[in-house]
This record gives sequence, C-alpha cells and structure tokens, in this order.
Amino acid sequence: MAVPEQGGRMPFFYNTEGRLIQVDYALQAVGRGSTTIGLRTKDFALISSQVKPTRSLLEPAEKIFVVDDHVGATGSGYIGDVNTLIDELRLAAQRHRLAYDEPIDVGTLSRGLSQYLHSFTMYTVRPFGASIVLAGADELGIQLVQVDPSGTTFKGSGFAIGQYADEALEAIKNGYRPDLTVEQAIALNTQAIEGVNGGKSQIEHGIVRKETRKFERLALVEN
Amino acid sequence: MTTTVGIRSKDGVVLAADKRASKGFFVGSKVVQKIFPLDDTIAVAIAGQMSDAEYLVSLAKAERRLLALRRGYPLSVKESAKLIANIAYSGMKSYNPFFVELVVAGVDREGAHVYTNDMSGAITSEDFMSSGSGSPIAYGVLEQGYKPDLTLDDAKKLGEAAVRAAMERDPGSGNGVDVVALPNGRWHAEVN
Repeated sequence: MAVPEQGGRMPFFYNTEGRLIQVDYALQAVGRGSTTIGLRTKDFALISSQVKPTRSLLEPAEKIFVVDDHVGATGSGYIGDVNTLIDELRLAAQRHRLAYDEPIDVGTLSRGLSQYLHSFTMYTVRPFGASIVLAGADELGIQLVQVDPSGTTFKGSGFAIGQYADEALEAIKNGYRPDLTVEQAIALNTQAIEGVNGGKSQIEHGIVRKETRKFERLALVEN
Repeated sequence: MTTTVGIRSKDGVVLAADKRASKGFFVGSKVVQKIFPLDDTIAVAIAGQMSDAEYLVSLAKAERRLLALRRGYPLSVKESAKLIANIAYSGMKSYNPFFVELVVAGVDREGAHVYTNDMSGAITSEDFMSSGSGSPIAYGVLEQGYKPDLTLDDAKKLGEAAVRAAMERDPGSGNGVDVVALPNGRWHAEVN
C-alpha cells in the first residue's frame, strides 16, 4: 500500500495529518485572488469585488455575475475556474425553471454547486481554485452563501474571500449593523476593500433587494 | 386545430390567437393561452400539440437566457427563431418530432420581424403569417387587409379580424381572441 505523504505520489489522498493537500492548495489559490466581500441584511444582500488594477489599453474583467433574475454571484481565485462555476450556476438555474417553472431557491442552487465542487476532491483531478459568494432572494428571504473549493458551504451575513480576506472580514465585522442602508453597505464594502489593499481600487458591486427580488449589477466605479 | 396570426407593422409586431383547445370533436378548454412571451421583446404563438409547444417554448426561453447572460446581449428575433427551428429539426431527425407550428414574432435592433417554424425545423419570414387549422381562412383576411404601412393599432385590428373570421368557419378554433402587441424600441443592448 502506497503511503500517502506530503506532495507524494498520491496527492489526492489524505496526508498523515488527515488533510487533503490538493484542497488546501486550492484554498491558497483563492487566497491569492482579488478581495471580494458579501454583506447581508434582512432587506438586501450586497456583493463587492475588487477588479485587479489593470494596465492601460486593457478592459477591466467582469467580476459580478448575474446567475438568474433573482440571484447574483461573485468569486475569487483563478478567473477561468470562477467563470466555469458561474456557468454551472446559470445552467442549474435554467434547468430548475425548465423542470418546475419557478426560479431556483438559493439553497438548492448552492447545494448543487457544493456537490459539483466536492466531486472534484474525490478523484485524481485538480479541485477548482475558486470560492464563490452567492447573493439571492427566495421564499426564505435574502440569502448570502459562500462556497469553497472543498464544497464547504457557509450561510451568513458577512463574508470575505481572496487577498487579505481576514483583515477585510474584520473591517466588515466592525462596521456591520443589522439596519445598514444600501449606501452605507456599499461604503463599508468599499472601505474594507480599499483599506486592506492600501488605497483607491476599482470595485464592482451587485445587489439584490427584498422588495424587488431582482439582482442587479451596479456600474463599475472608476477611482 | 387553432388559428394564430402574426403581423409585422412599421412600429412593432402583433400576435393573435384563439382560445380553444380541442380534444377530437370535443372542446377541451375555452380559455387556453396560446401566446407565450419569451421576454419583453419576443413572443410565440403556438398551434399543434400543446405539450410539445410549451416544452419547446420553455426550452427556448432557457437557452436564450443562458446565451444572453454569457455573451452580454440578448438574441435577435432571427436568432431566436433559428434556435427554435434547430430544436424542432433535431426532434424530427431523431424520429421524435415536436408536433407544432409556431409563429415567432418580436422586435430587435433592426425592427419588427415575424417568423414561422414548423415541426420539420423549416423557418420562413414574411410580413404576416398564420398557422393552425384556421390559417387558410385567416390568410384570406390578411391578404385583403395587409398594407406595409400599417400602424401597430391597425395591425392589432387586422390580427383580431383574421382570427375572428377563422373562428366563424373553422370548428377547431373559437371561444375568443387573445392579442399581443410588441412595439419597437423595447430592445435593450444590455442584459440586466
């Protein structure tokens, strides 16, 4: 029996400490991505992502994605992996409409994504190097969910992924109040992203509100 | 069974359809909706097997939404008609045809368009089109009344008149008319 060891021949097995190193590496890849924040109150959910400083003549990359009328998503990590996962989400949303003639709920959507990601931790393949933050509205209210490369899903009111995520989350925690207005939330996310990245950044926002149940991308703010 | 009509006017398109669903010689329903919107800009009037048509329309809706999200702008009427035709064609080629005849009408960047799709996957585009068992009668009214400079309001009246004429003589059509008008200028370059 081959002994699985750190970086050994069987990298997809548990190592001697009981860790899946491929999944750890995937999380490290996410940690190198651009700072991305999700914030939720009972009235709305806001997702914000730093668009990495681009050189001149280059169009800024799209970081906030419409998944369906009522759900949006953003991600951090390898952008190709993020795009693939977004496509998977959009497909799931439309399949649900086809099957039930109703918009998909965020729980079902994130569970599908989680199972998809998890399947890549079981075999000799590279797990996705991307985490996704979903913001949506459904029968249960406003939802904010983070899904990691391992398939681990978190539900909550504040998330940060990517570079300096811990510091950004700290800033969000300190500034969070349950009665935050949309404007205050945008300011808080902007402050957090700019604070940890040392100065003005291009940030893209997306918001879903309880009254409308519609997800909308906000125009990229040029700084 | 059914009579559906699509008319292209200078400021939009009109779809009209009767409300009868037939079960052989029996009137199965008197309140059937035969016009389905794909979005704000395009609608489809269906004739033939209801289940096939509804499934085809929902599938087209899903595929259109996905492509629009991926590429960042919505599908034109022509692209939508071709999408539906391709689904119908693959059905026919796999010996499982969709028993439908659809009128696809809508507005896009270029203006108003009317297409018909049949179960073989063929598409044709003309200024006005009709499908279903009452279409020969509806065409009589359309041929008499259609003019290229029709306003949207005139087109609505002509569409309704065509379906009403068919309802008088075609036993497969009846129980009232639904009319949908899609004015030009609803097309948006942006998705969301």
